[in-house]
Amino acid sequence: MPDSTPSTADVEERLRGLLDRCAAGDSTALQPLYELAAPLLFGCLTRILRRRALAEEALQDVFVSIWQRAAQFSAVRGKPMAWMVSIARYRAIDLLRHERTAPILVAELPEQATHEGSAEELPGWLPGSALLERCLQLLTEHQRRCLELAFVGGSSHEDISRLTGNPLGTVKSWIRRGLRSLRQCLES
Amino acid sequence: MTPENPLLVDQLAAEYVLGTLRGPARRRFERWRISSPLVAQRCLFWEEHLIPLARELRPIQPPPHLWQSIRRRLNLTPPRSRTRPAYALAIAASVLMVVILGVVVYWSTTRPGTLSEVATISAPAGAAAWRVEIYAERGQMIVHAGQLPPHPANRDFELWALPTGGSPVSLGVLPVGGTARRELSEAQRQALSHATQIAVTVEPTGGSPTGQPTSTPIFVVPLRAVS
Repeated sequence: MPDSTPSTADVEERLRGLLDRCAAGDSTALQPLYELAAPLLFGCLTRILRRRALAEEALQDVFVSIWQRAAQFSAVRGKPMAWMVSIARYRAIDLLRHERTAPILVAELPEQATHEGSAEELPGWLPGSALLERCLQLLTEHQRRCLELAFVGGSSHEDISRLTGNPLGTVKSWIRRGLRSLRQCLES
Repeated sequence: MTPENPLLVDQLAAEYVLGTLRGPARRRFERWRISSPLVAQRCLFWEEHLIPLARELRPIQPPPHLWQSIRRRLNLTPPRSRTRPAYALAIAASVLMVVILGVVVYWSTTRPGTLSEVATISAPAGAAAWRVEIYAERGQMIVHAGQLPPHPANRDFELWALPTGGSPVSLGVLPVGGTARRELSEAQRQALSHATQIAVTVEPTGGSPTGQPTSTPIFVVPLRAVS
């Protein structure tokens, strides 16, 4: 049976090739890069910003940054999707700062609210990591949940405290300890 | 900020990447990242190690006009487009229709029902070795082989379901390339319905002769329910 889903390695290789071309100033590489990466980055921005119009603005900023900073990426030889998702997440967090209204908080994030297409149709976008999975198992449920809320939802300490109904100091300490345990495990 | 106290740098880098470092501290840290290679290196470490957390993100197709706006902002010239005669469009449309019909027919005849569980087996370096898809409804399993770990001579990789409170149940020898589709036995279905993890062991060619793993698993990964 032909498998139409590209593997993570294939996607990463294509992204890397396109970013290298952007780094060399080849503007014809930006559109295929956009087609490949924009849906995931837009999903990420929508999840954090919760407002479609704001996420659309942010996606433009993100691709302008990707184009301008491709040479930096090319020099470091990191993981392309991790690099682009970081640019998107940082941009979204930055925009949250300027937003007067607090982000909409819901106890359980609407997993399927923005789900267009089923999980089985998703390409192998993100590198899986057996190592991170193993290390996450070492954390307490509270620590793990806090890290996920912060990373995926862009929630601040205060947001997480409100979301989970735990005191701010407790949330901060869960996150600090969770990250410390993760580092020890990831580097061991 | 104390320059380059490794533990402090790491703690700040982790919270910066996680996104919980906010306000003026975040902006100070951003400037520090640009000027210090150590800080930059710790940020990269966290960015690349935390990225699997983003797996629960779902892609969303951005509206078509966004690409045009980006191109305008970067002053990129659009690719030269020639005016196409109407008949070319008509041909293109009919070809597209045939392709869509073909995909629909292909999909409806080969797709094994709704995906119920999935697991990605990857080495710490990141590339997926196998993707395991369970279609519980129809009792089928599909395994896609990716970048495999080094393959020992005269050995096979065997997949196991790890049912909670029970012994491992073999799901068969893993393919070393391409995609394999298998019917699941009743015992395998039962085991999978009680399993939250699957494992891979290295076994003699053809699989474990005893029906139980004969070596320590090289991978143990969660089996995720697809809702």
